[in-house]
Order: sequence, then structure tokens, then C-alpha cells
Amino acid sequence: MTSATVPATSVQSAAKPEGIRIGRILLYVGLSIGAILMITPFLWMVLTAFKNDLEIMKFSWLPSELRWRNFVEAMQTAPFLRYFRNSLFIAVGETAFTLAVCTTAGYALAKLPIRGSKALLSYFILLLLVPFQIILVPLFLIVKSIPLFGGNNILGQGGIGWLNSWWGLIIPLGAAPLFTFLARQFYVSIPTELAQAARVDGLGEFGIFWRIMTPLVKPALITICVFQIEAAWNGFLWPLMITTSDSLRPLQLGLAIFAQNPAEVQWPYLMAGTTLATLPMIVMFVFAQKRFVEGMAHVGIKG
Amino acid sequence: MSATVEERPTPALTEPRKVAPAKDSRKLIRSQVRAGWLFLAPALLHSGIFIVIPVVAAIVLSFTDYSFGDSWSWIGFANYSELFQDVDFRAALANTLLYAVVVVPLSMAISLAVAIGLNQKIKAIGFFRTAFYLPTVTATVAIATIWLWIYNPGSGLANGFLSLFGFAPGRWLSDPSTALPSLMVVGIWQGLGTKIIIYLAALQGVSRDLMESASLDGANRWQRFVNVTWPALGPVQFFVLVTSIVGTFQVFDLVYVMTRGGPGTETHVLVLDIYQNAFQALRLGFASAETVIMMLVIAIFIGLGRLLQKADVND
Repeated sequence: MTSATVPATSVQSAAKPEGIRIGRILLYVGLSIGAILMITPFLWMVLTAFKNDLEIMKFSWLPSELRWRNFVEAMQTAPFLRYFRNSLFIAVGETAFTLAVCTTAGYALAKLPIRGSKALLSYFILLLLVPFQIILVPLFLIVKSIPLFGGNNILGQGGIGWLNSWWGLIIPLGAAPLFTFLARQFYVSIPTELAQAARVDGLGEFGIFWRIMTPLVKPALITICVFQIEAAWNGFLWPLMITTSDSLRPLQLGLAIFAQNPAEVQWPYLMAGTTLATLPMIVMFVFAQKRFVEGMAHVGIKG
Repeated sequence: MSATVEERPTPALTEPRKVAPAKDSRKLIRSQVRAGWLFLAPALLHSGIFIVIPVVAAIVLSFTDYSFGDSWSWIGFANYSELFQDVDFRAALANTLLYAVVVVPLSMAISLAVAIGLNQKIKAIGFFRTAFYLPTVTATVAIATIWLWIYNPGSGLANGFLSLFGFAPGRWLSDPSTALPSLMVVGIWQGLGTKIIIYLAALQGVSRDLMESASLDGANRWQRFVNVTWPALGPVQFFVLVTSIVGTFQVFDLVYVMTRGGPGTETHVLVLDIYQNAFQALRLGFASAETVIMMLVIAIFIGLGRLLQKADVND
């Protein structure tokens, strides 16, 4: 992570500057081609969002005029604003829940003298490998039979539980083991002496966690936020399964419904909707990317 | 985050305690242990309810004919034997395996190459990082929608591009021979970002000293890569391998939006089959048997990956 300060293999660059320069050029060319391949589809998406119905009949790059009203009309053909609000609500709720659960757990695993904390860490790593799709069906049943919700009795029978509710959309997919693991990796690298000193000063355990240690792991918090917001914002299968009403459906379901019938798709509207759905995540990443990479560094390196 | 965790009444900060006597320190440890379990409890409870119980339940359900109704019975291995006769399931399994076998190695190789490129001292690193990560932050549904349009036979970008070089237009997703490969391209394209970032993070952790001394010893670029970088990447390779395998087996949104498994069963994949059996045919027991098979296949793949890695280390 601390690459910037080290002069890159100075020995070699002095020896054969010519070969290095050609290599450098090839490197930039290669990376630029790659970057173009990554960006082009998005560019195409934005450009299409401005076209009119005739222009999309045959292949072209640029729209003849910028039809901003495509965006307005797209928002009106489907309850996009509501989808937007729903997605935002799910993303914020899930991220808050994840931060609360995973930072505390990660801190406990890293810094508190719990018997078997190594085994517990292995437990969380093992859970990391369980693909969501595998537990899809039983998870649905469990969410359906949460006691005392959605008309259920205390045994979880008779109603729909958390189906078709914010609870069901937010809680089951929050607090993924990955984030507990990630948080733990960060807390481990903070000197324990800091906590000890605070303890001697009489600060309680929660105070130490909240006021001393957590402010020091900001990159971890940012990484968790970016990952979790992204996952929640982009979630598709789970909301598809457990929601039946438009009032709860997130953005991605709205888009998919738009694209459902290829014969009648109104591409400019669909692309306008997709652009609006994608923009917040891109903006977020641009701002968070540096910290985000630092965060990822901790996942792989220290076991 | 509840403040109730603060069990021990905290003395005011203004009267710092002197060095704690021995009896006190044992109490201090005990309060730390108590706090530790309280901190862990929500995560343990959550993972127990929403991950561990479902995994166990999937296995149990797979031996029943449960279908949302009130009555169900144990039917032993009937679901499993029926599965292997099932044409859709067999197509889905074959397609998913093929998808994983192509997408996992290709995307790992490309991401490693790009990560090595990005790990040089280059300008505009932020731009490149964002460019390659762009598809990953974007929802798969949005990605699928864009590519649906790119693959559009009449006016899509793909045919527009081909026509520049005078090639005949393809039918892409509606042509049985190109449908699955077309999806693979999107899968690889979309998955690069995460892997690149993980590799990049790992590459930055490769010991500079080792690199320097290797180049002082006269090792060339390739030798340094094989002898220093590659071994150092070991644990990360495994992490990337496992997450990519799990990721490719999970492919759903892409297929759901772009092809719905068609044409015919050319792009029918496991999760789509599970989804249809569970929530359209309402055969939960049957669908659970499928998930158990999927679990086993993923386990086998991960095991194979482990073996490969071990062989690689022993070389």
C-alpha cells in the first residue's frame, strides 16, 4: 500500500532506458484500449438516452439533438421516483445495520479476549463461501415465518412474516460475514496499547470501541459502506422474490420490467432510466476509490 | 448501535485511576470478555438465523416434497433421481459448468494482467481504476440492459462495429450457437473490476526488498514475476478463485434480463432453473435438491482449485 514513496527499480531503469520507454508506451496503449472497452458501453447508454425513436432504428453514435425530455418522460412512464426512493431507503437501512453489527463483531474478534475467537473467525470465513443462491429457498421460508410479524403468531404461522416488508428487504441481506471479516482485519492492525491506556483512564468497553478504536478504521468503514450500498442498490433477485407491490420495489426491478418485452422496448426511455440508476454508484466510487483500494488491501494480505 | 453494552459504570474521565491492583485487573478482563460476547451476539445471531439455518434447511427440504402447502412427506432421494432425468436441469447444469469453466480462468488472467499494468508507476491511475471498476459498481440489471441493446441485431453497437470491418451482422443472443458465448463476454467484462482491485492490493503488498534483490541478482522481468510475484500472490489467488467460482455459479440477473434461458435451453442456468422450480412451479423440495447439488459442485470446484494451487506450490 505504501508504494508511492519507493523509487521503482531504479537500478534497471538506469541500465536500459530505451526498452523501458517502449514498454511504457505499450503499457499505456494496452491500458487505454482496456479502459475504452470498459467505458464504451456506458457512453453508448448515455448517448442512446438522448436519441429519438427514429434514430434508434439504425446504428449511429451521436444523437441529432440532446433530448433531455427523454429523462423526464421516462420518469413519468413508470413510478421511477418511487423506485428510486425505495432503493435509497434499502441502501441506507442496510448499510446502517451492517455497520452496527459488523464493526462491533469485528472489533470483538480482533481485540477482546474471547475464548475461541480464532474458531469464530474461521466460522465467519467459512460463511463467506456460502453463495446466497444456495440458501434462497429456505431463507424465503424463514423470512415468511418470522414470529409476530405480518399476521404471524408466536410460532411464525398463519401470516406472511417479513415478506413484502422493509424488514424483509433490509435485514436478511445485511451484515454479511465478509464485512465482519473485513472490519476485524482493520481493528487487528491498531495497537492494543491505545485501548489499554483508555481502560486505565476508566473508559468503558463500549466507549473504547466507539470513541478510541473505531475512528481509526475509517478506510474500513468507507469500504464497507461502498460495498454494502452497491450491493443493496444493485440487488435484484431477493427483492424480486419477496415483494409483490410496487410501493416497495427497488429501482432494478423497475428497470427489468421495462426490458421485459424486447419487441416493445422503448430504448431511449430504458437507457435514460438506466443512466439515472447507474449515476449515483459511479459518483460514489469516484469519490471513494482511493480509500476503497486501501480497504481491499486488508482482505487479502493479513490472514 | 445500542449503548446498553456499557455494563460497568464508568468513573468520570476527570479522575483517572492509578495502576489497577491485581484483583481489579481480573474484573477488568471479565468485563472485556462480557463486552466481547455482547459485541459478537448480533452478528452470531444474524448469521445463525439467515445463513446457517437456511443451509441446513436446504439439505432437509431436499428430501421432502414440500410445496408451500400444509402437508408434506419424506420422499427420500426421489427428488435427486428425478433431477437427473430432468432435461431442463441437465441443460442448466451443463451450461453453468461451461460458463464457469470459460469465465473463471479468463477473467482471472485478464484481471491479473491489468492489475500488473496498473501497479506500475503510471499517470492517471485514478482514471484507470475507475474505468475498470465501472462495470462492477453498476447493477447487473443495468449492465444486462445495456448489452441487450448492444447485441440488438438491427441497430446495436456490436453489429455496427462489425460492419465497420465489412463483416456480416450476427444475431448474437437469438442465435443458439452464439447466445451463451455472448453472455460469457458480458460476464467476464463485468467481473474484472473486483478482481483487479484485489490483485492490485495484493501486488502492492509484494515485498519491494525481494524484488530489488532479485533484480540485483540479474533476474529479468519474467523471472521476477515467476519467482517473486506469483508465489506471493498465492493466498489472494485462492480468494479470487473461490469468489469467482461462487460468482459464476450465481449468474442469474444477466440471464434473466437478457435471454430468460433461451433460445431453447441454450442459456438456461442453474439459478434460473432453481428460481423457476421454486417460485413458478412451487416445488420447494425439488428446488432444494437442486441447490444441494449446486453446493456439492461448488465444493468440488473449490477443492480442485485447492489441489491446483498445491501442485503449483510444489513445483
